[in-house]
Amino acid sequence: MKSLLGYLTAAIVLSAVAFLLGDYQTDIYRKLLLWITLALSYNFLFGIAGQVAFSHFTFYGIGAYAVVILVTQLHLPLLLAVPITVLICVIAALVVAIPATRLEGFYLALATLAFAQLFIVLLNEGGNLTGGTGGLANYQLPPILGMQLKGPAYTVVIVLLMLASLAAVWRLDRSYFGRACRAARDNPEAAAAMGVNVRSTRILAYTVTSALAGVAGMVYAFVDNTVSPVIFGLENSFLLLFMIIIGGSGQHAGAILGAVLLYVMPFLLSPLIGHHHALVFGLFMVLAVMFQPAGLIGLWRNWRRGSEATGTRPANAPGEGRA
Amino acid sequence: MNDFFELIVSATASGCIYGLLALSYLLMTRPTGIINFAVGEWGMLAAFGGFLILSWLEWPYAAGMLLVSVFMFGIGWLTERLAVRRLVEQGAPPLAPILALLGMLVVFRELVSVSFGPDPRPVPAAFGFGRLELGLLAGSYQSFYIIVITVLVFLGAWYFFEKTLAGKSFEAVAIDRRAAALMGINLRRVMALSFAAAGTVAGLAGILVAPNVSAHYLMGLPLAIQGFTALVIGGVGRVEGALLGGLILAFAEQFTVRYANVPPGLAMGVPLVLLILFLLLRPTGLLKPKEARS
Repeated sequence: MKSLLGYLTAAIVLSAVAFLLGDYQTDIYRKLLLWITLALSYNFLFGIAGQVAFSHFTFYGIGAYAVVILVTQLHLPLLLAVPITVLICVIAALVVAIPATRLEGFYLALATLAFAQLFIVLLNEGGNLTGGTGGLANYQLPPILGMQLKGPAYTVVIVLLMLASLAAVWRLDRSYFGRACRAARDNPEAAAAMGVNVRSTRILAYTVTSALAGVAGMVYAFVDNTVSPVIFGLENSFLLLFMIIIGGSGQHAGAILGAVLLYVMPFLLSPLIGHHHALVFGLFMVLAVMFQPAGLIGLWRNWRRGSEATGTRPANAPGEGRA
Repeated sequence: MNDFFELIVSATASGCIYGLLALSYLLMTRPTGIINFAVGEWGMLAAFGGFLILSWLEWPYAAGMLLVSVFMFGIGWLTERLAVRRLVEQGAPPLAPILALLGMLVVFRELVSVSFGPDPRPVPAAFGFGRLELGLLAGSYQSFYIIVITVLVFLGAWYFFEKTLAGKSFEAVAIDRRAAALMGINLRRVMALSFAAAGTVAGLAGILVAPNVSAHYLMGLPLAIQGFTALVIGGVGRVEGALLGGLILAFAEQFTVRYANVPPGLAMGVPLVLLILFLLLRPTGLLKPKEARS
């Protein structure tokens, strides 16, 4: 009950903000919310389930492209296009996950990296279906039950999406499934001995988080009203990884902190170093892995606790256990 | 038919580049288990080194290439020292150094992008741009130069691992780290050397490929993926697997572009599909690793 109240307050406050912003700020606010949404689900995949996958942003792209193609080219009503898109994401995720989760450690990263690159190749070569290198543009969100969602109202949709993702990963994390994921991450043999089906746990974690990314992509598609291969490149999958590691891997608050920080930083840094903010991200990432594996959120918690525990490696270090 | 033989030469040359990159991965991953994606970025650093020394300062080619190799040896050694050793010795999870190296990759790329800007920079070929015909086989000077250098590097690597005591100590660390340490092998030295050698080999690949593609700050990731694909095809267990994997990849790539009726854009997907297929069907690669002899 208390948490429901919390979500409700957050929804009201975050939605209220949407009505105070101008066009430019609205755009930034919406994308910030979407990055947080993605970071939350990626944190579950990477931080909690321990899978280094570079395909998260690809599923964001699959969701965006699928819904746009279904709505504008096949002329399906939105209420039908949305569940079909989710289904497409789930099927794509299963196709990747069932063979790929057999791969040990870093090989999963490579398979998903190749998958991500392949997606871009297919988008570029998709002809009229995907619009090739230019992507698809000049479409609009169709009216839902006679209502045209736009402006702050659409921002509210994004707020709800973000909070729903938070609630989803939060509940999953606290459930049997979340504990099974952590166990499979830290010590697969021991987890299997305790009766956890490691393989299906991994497949399920990958599929659920990828579908969440697909849903976020679906919402994103009508933020800019344009989708193109450049948007869904590998760069952003790396950025997600950096957000999680810098913020604090395996912790929801860390994911949110990392996403906000890395999204906002380029705006603050651009007067100083122009477009080279990735240099700062890279340095932060190296420093975080070397000296603060629990990320900024771990730093903050240590500081609150009186900091005698600094330097010890908490249980949520990135990729704890076998890689 | 002439066209066919020319294709063989150019595919062999690209295969050699991929093979060198795969060897670079292999040198690091055998003794340490670490996959260092910055291999592509190392190639890029060397390409820019080539631009600075050969195009800008106009040093003679051989001296320039030597200097770049020494520089890359230093980069590899420093990388191990700064980003890897601490983590390995602290007993950090095996993924930690890989992630730290991913961060390093971005740092390398952005440093180059800050210093040289986004425009591609020319790097000269070893013997200028000319055409050599050996009977039916014909290709650019640079293609033949790449093949010769690669063969020398692989012969050197083979000799090192098979015939020298230091090479055997690498192999021992690869097979059983603890046992090797107990036998008095200096793990630190093996790790530092493996990264330094990997830096040199990746640097060679970068400076050799640069005349064809120009030095550019985004050239690293494709090199990293191609080299990795070659490694997966050949298998991480054997040095010759790296070269074999590189050649298979390059031939698959170039023959698809030339003879299969697919758009060139889709042909870019060939290495990716190969990578996925090999990962799924044969993750140990084509060549079986050597087992410890009992």
